[in-house]
Amino acid sequence: MTTPRPYALLAEITYRCPLHCPYCSNPVAASLREAPGRLQGGGYSNEELTTDEWKRVIREAAALGVLQIGFSGGEPLARRDLAELVCTAREAKLFTNLITSGIGFDDDRVRSLRNAGLDSIQLSFQSDEASLADEIAGAHAHQIKLDVAAKIRAAGIPLSLNFVIHKRNIDRLPQIIGLSEMLGAERVELANAQFYGWAFLNRATLLPTREQVDRAREIAIAAKARLAGKIDIFYVLPDYYEARPKPCLNGWGQRYLTVNPIGEVLPCPTAPSAIPDLRFENVRARDLDWIWRESESFNRFRGTEWMPEPCRSCPQKEIDFGGCRCQAALLTGTAANTDPVCELSPNRGIVDAVLNTTNLSRANPGDWIYRVNEHATSPHR
Amino acid sequence: MAEISNSALPRLAKGVRLQGDSATGKSVLLYPEGIIELNETAQEIVSHCDGRTFGEIVRELAEEYDADPAALAIDVRETLADLHRRKLIEFT
Repeated sequence: MTTPRPYALLAEITYRCPLHCPYCSNPVAASLREAPGRLQGGGYSNEELTTDEWKRVIREAAALGVLQIGFSGGEPLARRDLAELVCTAREAKLFTNLITSGIGFDDDRVRSLRNAGLDSIQLSFQSDEASLADEIAGAHAHQIKLDVAAKIRAAGIPLSLNFVIHKRNIDRLPQIIGLSEMLGAERVELANAQFYGWAFLNRATLLPTREQVDRAREIAIAAKARLAGKIDIFYVLPDYYEARPKPCLNGWGQRYLTVNPIGEVLPCPTAPSAIPDLRFENVRARDLDWIWRESESFNRFRGTEWMPEPCRSCPQKEIDFGGCRCQAALLTGTAANTDPVCELSPNRGIVDAVLNTTNLSRANPGDWIYRVNEHATSPHR
Repeated sequence: MAEISNSALPRLAKGVRLQGDSATGKSVLLYPEGIIELNETAQEIVSHCDGRTFGEIVRELAEEYDADPAALAIDVRETLADLHRRKLIEFT
């Protein structure tokens, strides 16, 4: 089998973040000093990659065939070298996207990023109005985000919005779409929470009811049709309510790679916390090309050879790739199992039990746990 | 959207880049969160969207490929309408 080439690199340049969203996909043990309890080779440290290390990663990714880079985190603006990294990515002909909460933007930084050639910004919002949005973020962030959206528009940088949708804000979908129209976004992602990281921990408080999901789907479909050609609406399905799994990553090690703040190269950003027995290589010890082609972590679930039944003999196996390895690991304890969202999975009962609790129980799911942030951070770069 | 007229000016939408892909030798459209690999026809059409009108693009491509302009207009219109729906082409 020839190794496919990757198309996109997710550069998680820091886990530091001023917000506390309870659905954050960062690992729950994101404190870099405690997180990697795994075996590590190469003698590298747990500190964030340096500017020069990131520049090397970006160039190696471009050489490998990557066409797109997403600067993400945490909050990528927490790093002072962001514009310099964007510049390096543009020189390598990558399409550069900044995935940000907006906190930390001022006129100078908008200007320096635009001058560096930043191609687009994806700005997150928690809801359409301040009281709920700030409650979700665990910070007074909503008004700042509105101001930042205006600055981005004024600078002429294409703007995408991202809303993570869950039990508490899903009924406000019409207002959320209204805000997106008002802000003049080109693209809007309405992404139902996917249950990894903090969201997995807070699943009971985040998972909407079937009734909420059905209504939201209709609203999203209608808005997509109404705004076609004006705003591109991308609706991420709440997969627990689906009968077949999402084609996660378009297949493991097929199109995407992630490099986390300390240089670990991941087939999927949530893999280290979801699949503890997988060992990840580090850019401080190996070059990206070797890691992509040769490493055990990228090859473990590449292709279809690893699949057990019912995936192995399933006509859908090249379409959904057996779903999500992280979800299989989190829900069944075995990453190679069929994603239990699939109606053909012998473990579908695990998902149904979760849905039953949400839809049938009158018990209050209680409060969510806010994402905590590391206080002792490595120095701002 | 309304029918694309001969005087319509199709352009790459803001934030969309047409670029060569050194891994395949083909052309790709890069945009936020997405990549579309263009086939040869689409690549020819998109690379003409640089200030020329729809009518001019059809005429030039028809000459270049010795094709029937009426039949070609249907293909070009379909391709541009599809890219417009995906917000990759805009009309001015």
